Amino acid sequence: MRKKYRTKFPVARIKKIMQMDEDVGKVAQATPILISKALELFMQSLIDEACLETRAKNAKRLTAAHLKKTILDKEQFDFLRDIVQNVPDPQAGSSSGAGDETNNSSTSGSGGGSSSGSGSGSGVGSTSGVGSTSGVG
Amino acid sequence: MSDNERGNDDELSLPKATVQKLINEMMPDDIACAKDTRDLLIECCVEFIHLLASEANDICEKEMKKTIAAEHVIAALKALGFEEYLPEVEVVLQDHKTQQRVKDKDRKSGRLEHSGRTEEELLMEQTRLFAEAKERHQTQQN
Repeated sequence: MRKKYRTKFPVARIKKIMQMDEDVGKVAQATPILISKALELFMQSLIDEACLETRAKNAKRLTAAHLKKTILDKEQFDFLRDIVQNVPDPQAGSSSGAGDETNNSSTSGSGGGSSSGSGSGSGVGSTSGVGSTSGVG
Repeated sequence: MSDNERGNDDELSLPKATVQKLINEMMPDDIACAKDTRDLLIECCVEFIHLLASEANDICEKEMKKTIAAEHVIAALKALGFEEYLPEVEVVLQDHKTQQRVKDKDRKSGRLEHSGRTEEELLMEQTRLFAEAKERHQTQQN
């Protein structure tokens, strides 16, 4: 774990963000400083874990999809689930133009062994809007 | 490049440039961060602050205190499952306390009282030091 960073989070901004919550009243001087440190560690942790996913997918860029998978997999990051809900699943076709990755589950049909298994019998079943699957709610 | 949006409180977030720099420091050398990923990371950070603040606030209220103190933040980290952050966070707290003590000392006691000399003596010493420095300076010039 890299411990020394040159950049720091702005302490005053952290305090303002804290006080967006109406329940939060007074805040000791040390408090946003400590939160800044915790935030640093959190970010490093999130990045480290997400990069594992990036490497697993043989990608060179960290994408939202990698982040999403990381968040869904780790209990510590449960509170972030809502944030990534809108992020398209890794199985989906890359509509957000990130596409450097070589996904294992490609939507352009390879006939055999489709891992997304919606089993509609029309060849490759994809869950995102290719438009022909029947089982999408 | 000013990203400062001073509109509502609702739009309050972390400064993009700062976060970008931090991301660059944290990422491995062979992987890059997509732009929308950075924005997503920022959202996660803000959410983390809210989570921590809220938990610390609850703990603070349970103790019938009005100000969220360092101890509450530490307890919140434990409660939320971030114990692994505690050692480094506590170091920051100790550093902060030490700095505060130094500041308080300087402010309260004042260097004059502590030097153990009267003002007259200090004045004489100052004159002497200036004279010495002048000599030294002249010697150097020669």
